[in-house]
Amino acid sequence: MENNIQPVKITIDGQEVFVNPELTILQAAQQNGIRIPTLCHHAALSDRGGCRMCVVQVDGAPRLAASCVTPVRDGMEVVTVNERITETRRTILEFLFAERNHNCMFCPQSGDCELQDLAYELQMDHLTVPQSFHEFPVDITSDTIGLDHNRCILCGRCVRACEEISGCYVLNFQNRGPDTLIGFDLNEMREDSACTSCGACLQVCPTGALYNRYRTHYAVKGHAKDWQTVRTVCPLCGLLCPTVSTVKDDYLIKIEGAIPAGNGQPEGGQLCRQGRFDVLKNSGRRLLHPMVKKTDGSWAEASWESALDLVVEGLTAVRDAHGGNAVVGLASGLSSNEELVCFRDLMVKGWETGQIGTLENSGFQNIYRIGPDKGQTFKEASWKKIAEADFILAVGTVTHDSQPVVGSLIRKRIIRDNMRSAGIGPNDFLYPYGTHHISVKNGDELLLIKAILSEAVKVMEKTASAPDVGKIFEQAAPVNVKDIVKRLQLDAKAESALDEIIRDYVDSDNPLIIVAEDVAAQKNLSGLRDLVNLALLKGRHGNDRLRLIVLKPCGNSMGAYKLLHLSDEKKQAQTIPKGGLVLLEQDPFQDTPHLEIPVGLDFLAVISPYRPDSLDDCAHVLIPKPLWMESDGTCTGLDGGEIAFRQKMLDAPAGINPSWQTLMALSARANVQLDYGSWDELRQKAEQEIQKEVSSEKA
Amino acid sequence: MKKPKLATVWCEACAGCHMSFLDLDEALIDILSQVEITVSPVTDFKDYAFPQVDVGIVEGGVGNEENREVIEHLRRQCRFLIAWGDCAVFGGIHTLRNWLPKDDVLRCGYVETASTVNGIIPAHEDIPQLLDKVLPVNAVVAVDGYVPGCPPAPEALAYCLKELLAGRLPVLPADMMHFD
Repeated sequence: MENNIQPVKITIDGQEVFVNPELTILQAAQQNGIRIPTLCHHAALSDRGGCRMCVVQVDGAPRLAASCVTPVRDGMEVVTVNERITETRRTILEFLFAERNHNCMFCPQSGDCELQDLAYELQMDHLTVPQSFHEFPVDITSDTIGLDHNRCILCGRCVRACEEISGCYVLNFQNRGPDTLIGFDLNEMREDSACTSCGACLQVCPTGALYNRYRTHYAVKGHAKDWQTVRTVCPLCGLLCPTVSTVKDDYLIKIEGAIPAGNGQPEGGQLCRQGRFDVLKNSGRRLLHPMVKKTDGSWAEASWESALDLVVEGLTAVRDAHGGNAVVGLASGLSSNEELVCFRDLMVKGWETGQIGTLENSGFQNIYRIGPDKGQTFKEASWKKIAEADFILAVGTVTHDSQPVVGSLIRKRIIRDNMRSAGIGPNDFLYPYGTHHISVKNGDELLLIKAILSEAVKVMEKTASAPDVGKIFEQAAPVNVKDIVKRLQLDAKAESALDEIIRDYVDSDNPLIIVAEDVAAQKNLSGLRDLVNLALLKGRHGNDRLRLIVLKPCGNSMGAYKLLHLSDEKKQAQTIPKGGLVLLEQDPFQDTPHLEIPVGLDFLAVISPYRPDSLDDCAHVLIPKPLWMESDGTCTGLDGGEIAFRQKMLDAPAGINPSWQTLMALSARANVQLDYGSWDELRQKAEQEIQKEVSSEKA
Repeated sequence: MKKPKLATVWCEACAGCHMSFLDLDEALIDILSQVEITVSPVTDFKDYAFPQVDVGIVEGGVGNEENREVIEHLRRQCRFLIAWGDCAVFGGIHTLRNWLPKDDVLRCGYVETASTVNGIIPAHEDIPQLLDKVLPVNAVVAVDGYVPGCPPAPEALAYCLKELLAGRLPVLPADMMHFD
């Protein structure tokens, strides 16, 4: 069909070009390398034609047309620049500058401002209209996003970003005429609004009206022309949002979402509060030298050699005295695949360690213990299936805090496509967009699932044709829904919502169940089986993918699950009995291990970018490592089927080696034979191990 | 040929634009061989009653009655008036006070500062009155050319003078424009 579209011929500044008739004049010009200045237009947003900066002359018409919203037409003659057009654009700019406080001289955004860039480009060297000097309010109630109405030009990019990229619909215009302001909700302050701090608005803001409160002043930031950018991915959750981070003199200025993202990743510069703001927080004292605890309990700097020797001696002594099971290794789920491979090999081969695990609770893997047959596991669906689903059932607390972008993707589907949805759990993260919500306390979600499954089976017994259904019918013991309703003390409203959820699920063709990590971590395997069976009622995606997504506590939790072989429950660390090595990647959301680390361990070494204050009492040796943003590495996606390379944005402080080098130095001291000797070999090895799983999934 | 005459003044400003001018260093020798500077803060003039010049250059915004008189006099005495720097072009950093009532500004400056004891707001017939708002020069008199920047780069000031010597009113090219 697309191939049948006949290109039309238009003339732009005397140049004949053939373009798709569905384009606007602006798009046609951009495709042919002709620059038209724009202001309210943004590559990631729909066009509004509001600022008139992109005006052009069409077929000599007396009125100039906004090129961003004017479609091309066969034979059209477009002039993008002449004296009148430039004068018009410059006059528009002058009005914008005069209307509010756009004095670059004392604006912190100077040097990183599209309004300023246009003023330079159009040589606006003075104003012909008097400035208003009218005072507008400033909203700094949020610790992430500041809104200074004095610098706002009302281009509406933020309003469109809030609905189109974030799906939040929090920002809009309020008041009329010169009193118009961008407002949160119904004229709330930022902090009282439903804003999720995703920051899409401030990424698209062409001035300093919406700004990042972590890096505010240009005395800190300097000018955009002096910045370097690094394209990388955000490793904080498994969505692997592509980012563009901006760095000046080894100082992180900002992280923005990449536009376009590609690879089906979140589009339009979408990021979340963690990926955009929290990463800019300074969260503790950096560990700059290896430290050794002296006999009086105080810490002293030590050389790398002596500190690494101490680690090997300490752990070996624990193993010799109590056996390999007394040595435990815990790695952060934020670690790269390479770090995890190195860590596992060191621990397992170096001290025959019996137990290994992640710092954060990775109980979500309980759900993988349910497979089609013994010894087999199901694979979960990719989060990209959210785009195709016609009904989403969210089980447990899927909060904006743990998976904001997943929440945003669901919200957008509900609003744009009228997708039906239901939430079961303590709070309704889809409020007010979701179709149904049944409030039950943590831990009771699976009881409701049992009821839904039992009723759905009853309805579908006659009609369902999915391959697994026969087995499910055998397994799903009918339950009395009334009993469950009574036990959970559901009111009449919740009871009718339950009926509707069952009907919606049965009627849907492509449902998706999203399970919060704490629900997936329940020990109640029969309850988890109900959940899996409910997903199986509607068949699988592809060969073996469940219609189910499990949320994870950490960005590389799936990498850790696969590479540390956490599916083997016996080898999973439950406690730290005598001694251990902890690979700690501190970040703003997790800085203490979920396992209690007792004081009085025989030996504890911690590898961390920061002084781990919570482990100060029990640790014996501290080894510095770079932050995730200071080291290269690969991350595994949320469903375990995708790998992305995370390029470093900053250099680590002098003298601090990448942690894989430190781990390999420890391996050499512990006489461990590794089957990789260089970074490339290690990366290949990590990729192979993840891919091995991926390819077996495809087979 | 007679050298064109130049007068420069500063009003409510920090002297940064003149400093930037002096930053032209050895290029100044070349410029001074082609123009005659009659009065300028650089020459430490005290008397504003200067004769006719070809080009008048003003640094700074118009913030008090004296500034206004100086600007109006310069406008009468020169053929072309050029505004140098953000203050003269847009009002500059002094416009920070334009969002406040004048009385608050005076009280804040002379009475409420932390180091002031028994401060009073100076009032004397010899002391020029503060205007309600700081204005850019083109809000008071007609201006023929603008060189924005805080301060403008020495190259931009040299470009401005060279254009004037060539008989053209200066319009800064985009790559010389900056407002900060």
